[in-house]
Amino acid sequence: MEEAKSHARLTVKFQEQALSGRALMTKNIIDDGTIEACRRGESDAFRLLFEAYKDQVYSIAFCFFDGDEAIAKDVTQDVFLKLMTRISQFQNRSEFATWLYRIVSNACLDRKRALARFLSFSSSDKPEATERGKSAEDRYLQRELEISVRKVIAGMRPKLRIAILLKYFEDMSYDEMAAALDCSKGTVASRLNRAHRILARKLSHLRAVALGE
Amino acid sequence: MKHVGRHLSAYHHGELSAEEHLRVGSHLLHCSKCRDAYDEIRLGARLASSLSVTAAPAFTWRELRPNRAVTRRSRWVAPIAIGALAVVIFAIISGRGRIQDESSWKVSGVPGMPRLRPGEVLQTGSSSEAEIQIANIGRLTMDPNTKIRLLITQADQHRIAVDRGKVEALTWAPPRLFIVETPTATAIDLGCKYTLEVEDNGSSLLHVTLGAVALEHEGRETLVPAGAFCHTRSGSGPGTPFFEDSSAPFQSALRSLDFGRAGTEPARQLEIVLREARVRDGLSLWHLLPRLEPELRAEVYDRLAQLLPPPSNVNRDGIVALDPKMLDAWKNVVSQLWQ
Repeated sequence: MEEAKSHARLTVKFQEQALSGRALMTKNIIDDGTIEACRRGESDAFRLLFEAYKDQVYSIAFCFFDGDEAIAKDVTQDVFLKLMTRISQFQNRSEFATWLYRIVSNACLDRKRALARFLSFSSSDKPEATERGKSAEDRYLQRELEISVRKVIAGMRPKLRIAILLKYFEDMSYDEMAAALDCSKGTVASRLNRAHRILARKLSHLRAVALGE
Repeated sequence: MKHVGRHLSAYHHGELSAEEHLRVGSHLLHCSKCRDAYDEIRLGARLASSLSVTAAPAFTWRELRPNRAVTRRSRWVAPIAIGALAVVIFAIISGRGRIQDESSWKVSGVPGMPRLRPGEVLQTGSSSEAEIQIANIGRLTMDPNTKIRLLITQADQHRIAVDRGKVEALTWAPPRLFIVETPTATAIDLGCKYTLEVEDNGSSLLHVTLGAVALEHEGRETLVPAGAFCHTRSGSGPGTPFFEDSSAPFQSALRSLDFGRAGTEPARQLEIVLREARVRDGLSLWHLLPRLEPELRAEVYDRLAQLLPPPSNVNRDGIVALDPKMLDAWKNVVSQLWQ
């Protein structure tokens, strides 16, 4: 009876998010009940989690691997498989998102190490920014800016790279990042400092575009 | 005057305490050097803010495949099992992991052989590869010059023999359902992804990339988790598993210990192994214990105890005597290495 109610609740949630069509909104409906349903192995709950986070996870992997769609897709699948197999170990000791992004960062760093000999950081010009309401010229400039930023980030050391991606794709606090990256808050601050400086120095010529001057 | 450069990103993101925030802010008013640095941080942050979410491509929920599974037979892999249970449940409820009788397996890449049936042999040429659906529980890829035989395919067991060549297996079934026999050991799938390469002389190399595989030989089981390799040799069975990122001297000395000729100096090789071992190499040290003479076993105990202290109910004498309960208790500590 309880499971039937849970199933109905999740189904409604899923229909709501499907209607909304916005992945980010689904995060708001990932609550303890959803996590508990996942722990019980309920397919709808896993589906809800997947839909809620897949774009964010994919975006981090996509940027981490400099626009390599195949690797990003593979890493995203790995992340959700790990999430499914380990959800029973998640004990609400930290926020779900922090736990998930620890899996994401480990997946990216592990894959990077595994591919170290083979990975070629060739450029990719495929960010898919969707910015309604901007002029064609603005969108073009934004796109070029983002391509440049992605290239610089792809050339950073992996630990700086994952730090800046978690910050700017997930807007995580330093405490959350420290938990996800298994390091101190001071280390997070230090990595972001270095990453910001690298971006600023390598893209100083884009200052006017970035700041809208 | 103490500069505030290292706090500037935290200042920008509002991550400092009120007191620190004020201190950094007032310092910036008077220090042009830190102001310049802050401009740089702000520009970097603004640039990073241009990143936008990329919609995941049309890979769907149904493409996800579970990669781990559960075992009840061995406490060694119990923690893997807990997590994997969810996978099995997921596989079942998603309608893709349902286990059924299959009388033959679908084959792709081999002209004239669309199915592989029990008792049949499948062999790839010098430049051809093949992909096989292992009933509805996984996928097997065969490299060129590989020869396999399908021995059994039924609801509770799918078993092949790899006579030579290289295969890659990916399964999403409960553990111990897919079994690969080689001339020197039997690989038992615990829910995973791995490659197995068999040479003409029967020697083999197992490399596990996800989950875990158990290698069995003459009643002895060796567990090879993700990220680890294990060699097997004719007459010796499986060697000691080792992680791929262990040092070259460690791996070389381990191979000498496992398969060295008579007359090689095990004590010297063990010295290298113990010297090079990291915490993560506890996997190898634990597996070494029953393979060595008692005198050398005591040395392994000492080193492993430094790296991964044993539980309180485990002591040196018991391990040197290969007390099964103590070995098992310590194994549960060591297995945390790959959880």
